[in-house]
Amino acid sequence: MTITDDGLTPADFAATASRAVAACAGLSVSEQGARLVGDGLLGVIAGDNVGGLDLPLSFAVPVVAAASAGLLAFPLMENILLARLLQQRQARIASAIVAGDNSATIAWTGAVSAKKQGDRVILDGWVARAPRASDVGLMLVRVGATGAALVPISAVTLEDSHGIDLTQPEHTVQLNAVSVSADHLLADGTWPALESDALVLRAAAILGSAEACLALAQEHVSTRRQFGRALSYNQAIRHTLARHKLGLEGIRQSIARALFFSSGLRERRAAFLAASSYGVAISEGAVQMHGGMGFTWDVPVHRHVRRIRALQAQGDASGVLAALGHDTIADVSPAHPQTAA
Amino acid sequence: MTAMNVPVQDGAADASLTGDSYRQAARSWLRANLPEDFRGDSAAFTPPKLDQSIAWEAALHRAGLAGITWPSIYGGHGRTLREHLIANQEIGALPIPESVNSIGKELAGPIILAIGTEAQKLRFLPRILDMSNIWCQGFSEPEAGSDLAGLRTRAVREGDVWRINGQKIWTSGAYRAQRCLLLARTGPVEDRHRGLALFAVPLDAVGVRVRTIKSIDGRESFCEVFFDNVEVSQDDALGAPDEGWSAAIRVLAIERATNRMYRAWRFENEVRHLIAAAKTDPVLSGLLQQQHHAAKLAETIVDIDVLKAHVETAVDALVAGETIGARGSLAKLHWSEAHQRFAALAMELLSKASLPLQPAVRIALRRFEGIYLQSRAETIYAGTTEIQLGIIADRILELSRGK
Ligand SMILES: Cc1cc2nc3c(=O)[nH]c(=O)nc-3n(C[C@H](O)[C@H](O)[C@H](O)COP(=O)(O)OP(=O)(O)OC[C@H]3O[C@@H](n4cnc5c(N)ncnc54)[C@H](O)[C@@H]3O)c2cc1C
Repeated sequence: MTITDDGLTPADFAATASRAVAACAGLSVSEQGARLVGDGLLGVIAGDNVGGLDLPLSFAVPVVAAASAGLLAFPLMENILLARLLQQRQARIASAIVAGDNSATIAWTGAVSAKKQGDRVILDGWVARAPRASDVGLMLVRVGATGAALVPISAVTLEDSHGIDLTQPEHTVQLNAVSVSADHLLADGTWPALESDALVLRAAAILGSAEACLALAQEHVSTRRQFGRALSYNQAIRHTLARHKLGLEGIRQSIARALFFSSGLRERRAAFLAASSYGVAISEGAVQMHGGMGFTWDVPVHRHVRRIRALQAQGDASGVLAALGHDTIADVSPAHPQTAA
Repeated sequence: MTAMNVPVQDGAADASLTGDSYRQAARSWLRANLPEDFRGDSAAFTPPKLDQSIAWEAALHRAGLAGITWPSIYGGHGRTLREHLIANQEIGALPIPESVNSIGKELAGPIILAIGTEAQKLRFLPRILDMSNIWCQGFSEPEAGSDLAGLRTRAVREGDVWRINGQKIWTSGAYRAQRCLLLARTGPVEDRHRGLALFAVPLDAVGVRVRTIKSIDGRESFCEVFFDNVEVSQDDALGAPDEGWSAAIRVLAIERATNRMYRAWRFENEVRHLIAAAKTDPVLSGLLQQQHHAAKLAETIVDIDVLKAHVETAVDALVAGETIGARGSLAKLHWSEAHQRFAALAMELLSKASLPLQPAVRIALRRFEGIYLQSRAETIYAGTTEIQLGIIADRILELSRGK
């Protein structure tokens, strides 16, 4: 476990984050951002030079999980990541994000090309899966294979939001010869480093949603009666929920492992992939256990199903799975004719 | 080289070593001393004979790699659970045959440590570690499997001895064991959980009969054990007569979370062996390049990492003094099913090998066919999948019974 000098642990942040998220109910996206500033949540991992708390990534985990559990509309994960990413080269912007004076999103898929023109850079191309792009001021896009650039939302063409997630609707975005100052172009290698941290936080977001689904399902089967008994009397229901619990703890412990025990790319991928497959099973299973209620708009389970599917796609789960497989295979040498391993 | 002439380097992991240096010492000892014919991935592999296994495991103990957390007065090494984890990670990384005395080391030993008298600890524990006493577990009966509380084997006290009558079944390794950790009933069957007692029954006692049962893989390793008026001394009764069940449950909960801690790392060794073997075959190496097989293997890696996560966080919790309750059921359930999925994947991949079979593919086939068959038992023993699911629903989720 990580413990700060003041004796803070990531778990201490869970309660604060849940309270802050609950207090955001009914607020607009920008008001939510402003509300979260109060608890220092936007700058949880950003440096103190930009007003952040300068805590390790593990402290962002309960924050992002609470945001997802509470179906927070504000793109918190993106802002937490960007506040730290920008703290050196774009300290002014990072400070503005931490202070709630500006906010940003990240277009998780697609990439643009960049051409230098004097002290400007011209960006061209399509990106997508940018949560809440119409509610924020800035967007990070991938440039080429591993670079990134920061663009003002006002300079790009946003398609109307679409996609399955209602909590943080995603936008597809066209950059048509968008000119930004050269210092908005971030170094090659920026993107993979960002993605690596995003693997962990996305797993955390899925954990939050999955935990909410399991709680809703458990509550429902304990109160809904059929055949003269609560649904939870039936072994099929009990065993299904037990499997969901196994999956949920699998996600939780994998995140802990990726943060505290062996923090390589493999472990981070595994945490995201575990979250992705168990999260889908838990949330879709919760719909099933609600019966017809599960198919209604009013029961919030579908909002988590949608969110988990969106997070899975933002992180390209099947691509990450294949990459993990190929890397594992490449790491093993052929068996010696006499000794096989 | 065979295990009988393992050059034992005593003190390879001496008491002053901790953390990484302990890991290094464990790793180099294992690499230097593991006989080639013990390695499941070697052309030289032959299933070890009992005396070879005994010699090897006694050597493991002398090298500081068994009895790791037991106090040194009982022959242990007095180390931490974290070091137990480290040793298991290193043991798991190599294709070493399963222990023939895991019941002694991981079940009977911890129970004796918890409820045995001082005299019993001194008498039983060192002999488990030096392998002069192999133990078996006499819990299951023909009429009491998942519903263990329905067991009927009776123990009646007559002064300083107990008279035992009944039958046990599925008793792994009873034919080679010296002692049986026996769960028997001291009261009527209707008492269910009450009145169950534990005994350390010597298997050479008059009236004990052991019969092997042939298992799915053709081996004869589990047994029926019959107790016909067997006299057991009070010195061999473990704990108070009514303490048996609660002690068993308490210890089983911890054991489920910590036993065979090497599993995740052995599992990874198996995956790497499969890939290494497949890479020697033109068809299989082509298949490995395909997205489908890469993704399937990656799913196995994720399963393994989730298992490692369960184990490492449980060790962390235990070291921090937390009670882990029924948490071991999570790891057991996950591991047993994940291992079955992987075994099926390995069989499926190897079935596509080109002809004639490459030597490395033959070795892998032999190992993975064995693993596939043995893995069928993994969702049955130590509490079936359905029983683990029930434990999670009752004790972790505390789901209402829905009256
Ligand atoms: C390889 C191997 C080694 C073993 N070694 C030992 C040993 O050394 N010592 C020892 O004491 N025992 C040993 N066992 C026995 C093992 O613990 C039992 O097989 C196990 O507890 C299941 O009991 P059973 O075989 O009677 O099956 P049953 O209890 O009859 O179960 C049969 C099936 O019904 C299911 N079932 C049972 N009850 C329920 C329920 N309430 N709800 C839903 N499904 C249910 C089970 O999950 C299982 O699928 C071993 C078993 C195997 C396979």
